[in-house]
Amino acid sequence: MNALVMALDSIREKKGRSFLTMLGIIIGVAAVLVLVALVSGYNADITAYYEKLGVNKVGVTVTWYDSSRAVDVLDALYEYGNGELGDRVEGVSPDVSVALPLKYRTTTLESSTVYFGSDQYAACSNYTLESGRDIKSFDVEQRNMVCVLGSYVADSLFQYADPIGETVYIAGNPFTVVGTYYQKDGGTEDSMDDMVVIPYSLDRSMLQTDYLTSFTVKVDTSDHMDSVMAGLEVLLAETIPSTVGEYALENGNSAMTESTEEMTSMSVVLGGIAGIALLVGGIGIMNIMLVTVTERTREIGIKKSIGAPRGEIVGQFLVEAAILSGMGGVIGILLGFGLSLVLGKAMYDLILLPNGLVTAGAFAFSVVIGIVFGIYPAVKASNLQPVDALRAD
Amino acid sequence: MSLIRLDNVYKIYGQGQENQVNALDGVTLEIEQGEFVAIIGTSGSGKSTMMNILGCLDVPTAGEYFLDGTPISGRGRRELELIRSRKIAFIFQGYNLIPSLNVWQNVALPMLYQKIPLAQRKARAMEALERVEIAAKADYRPGQLSGGQQQRVAIARAIAARSPILMADEPTGALDSKTGAQVLALMKEMNREGTTVILITHDNGIAAQAHRTVRVMDGKIVHDSLWDGLLVDLPVARAVAP
Repeated sequence: MNALVMALDSIREKKGRSFLTMLGIIIGVAAVLVLVALVSGYNADITAYYEKLGVNKVGVTVTWYDSSRAVDVLDALYEYGNGELGDRVEGVSPDVSVALPLKYRTTTLESSTVYFGSDQYAACSNYTLESGRDIKSFDVEQRNMVCVLGSYVADSLFQYADPIGETVYIAGNPFTVVGTYYQKDGGTEDSMDDMVVIPYSLDRSMLQTDYLTSFTVKVDTSDHMDSVMAGLEVLLAETIPSTVGEYALENGNSAMTESTEEMTSMSVVLGGIAGIALLVGGIGIMNIMLVTVTERTREIGIKKSIGAPRGEIVGQFLVEAAILSGMGGVIGILLGFGLSLVLGKAMYDLILLPNGLVTAGAFAFSVVIGIVFGIYPAVKASNLQPVDALRAD
Repeated sequence: MSLIRLDNVYKIYGQGQENQVNALDGVTLEIEQGEFVAIIGTSGSGKSTMMNILGCLDVPTAGEYFLDGTPISGRGRRELELIRSRKIAFIFQGYNLIPSLNVWQNVALPMLYQKIPLAQRKARAMEALERVEIAAKADYRPGQLSGGQQQRVAIARAIAARSPILMADEPTGALDSKTGAQVLALMKEMNREGTTVILITHDNGIAAQAHRTVRVMDGKIVHDSLWDGLLVDLPVARAVAP
């Protein structure tokens, strides 16, 4: 008998229409939840990607004007990073790579990435030794023809055999495998596992270049990035005379920050669009409530003639509008959770769920929309003169 | 003091325009507590307008309406709601039951607005349905009942509300003569128990059941008579320009 039961009755009586009315709210709420979930999924994905690459890295790029007066920047960086900045820097390595064919017996990998690394290459690029040993500083000094394999290369060339001690040919040159790295990026072709590291001192024989121009300095925490960069700035200014060359420092974290910030600001725009969908849904509710008022004019007249107070009539229509939009909100939330799970799995291989706060907000917003857009029809109904209302058919 | 007093009441539609209609044209009428009055007139005579005003469903354009000695004109909407809720019950030609509620809920609805607790509402609704001999259908929807049954439900609704005044607008208009007679008998019974009944009809035969007959034509009362063993004409007041 109370307003709630009456409203539920009237919604149940017109299932099809009620559902269509709710559709706007359902889509709006689901869109908001899915968008926010996907943005957080994208951010998690980007963060994971950069974490695989290794975070807290300073990139150093040097351009020589006068190569005859070029100095060995790597030695300076290496000494400085492991000496004065040793408490903050985890590793220094050249950042040079080239795609070269790898061959073991009859198996060939056409274009694996070959890195020219220092003994601290693994620390710089976030690789972990699985078996054997890493590149050592004496390998670099003695230009030993040794290599450490990424998991994809190791698996592809050796399957289940132990690669340590075997000889692989990199662009035709024989290298002894001394170690392998754990898989860190899915272990597929063209992933970060499709790689091999050799001592950087082999660059002259392998690449026919005299000077290394890109380096990575790995810092322990993001808090130390600025102080390390300031230190490097001073070192490089002293090491590289301005007439001979110039250098640039790049904070590796800023790329990640930029791309997550970009996505977050995009999510505001997308959220706005979804908000418009909710608003349109609210107008749909107002429209249908106005129709309902017209249809029930006679019922309103009867109620008024037997003494229904105005508040009762207002309440009846408001409750109905709020229930319509609230139900739409609940269905939209369920739909949003379902879609987030499915899309999160498909796009990012993550278990994505909409943010709890956003969910609560979207639900509250949908109910408020129902009430706001229900007020006009409800007041209109309650303002009918009983005689006029009774005369309607 | 009369229960109802209309004092030179006008109801004017389209005032000042070419097609101005004086649906009520200076009506003065007093009705005492406990009377059974028939207001009779052809369609367009103004009898329904008179009922709407007597029932506080509409307000006069000019003139005064006193109910229980208090003026109705100039009352706020909320006060009119309260008056309707406490004092007046209606029976309509079209029954006017709410289709989405079942029979006993329809009967109990006015009591909801009188803020009577649910248990009591249901008890009184069932009691009233017993009176009109339709309690067996308490859980039916109005649409599942015949016209006569629906009108009995409407009467039960009026009985249960225990309003001192019953307004009936062509209550037998849509019924055959037998069920119409039953409905009239129920109304007479309510009248014997103290309810003031005002019956609006165009049918002289129906009007003849009432103690007092007020004939309306062109918005004016043209004849007013009382049957008390013999027919007594009552004076009819003249209209005074508002």
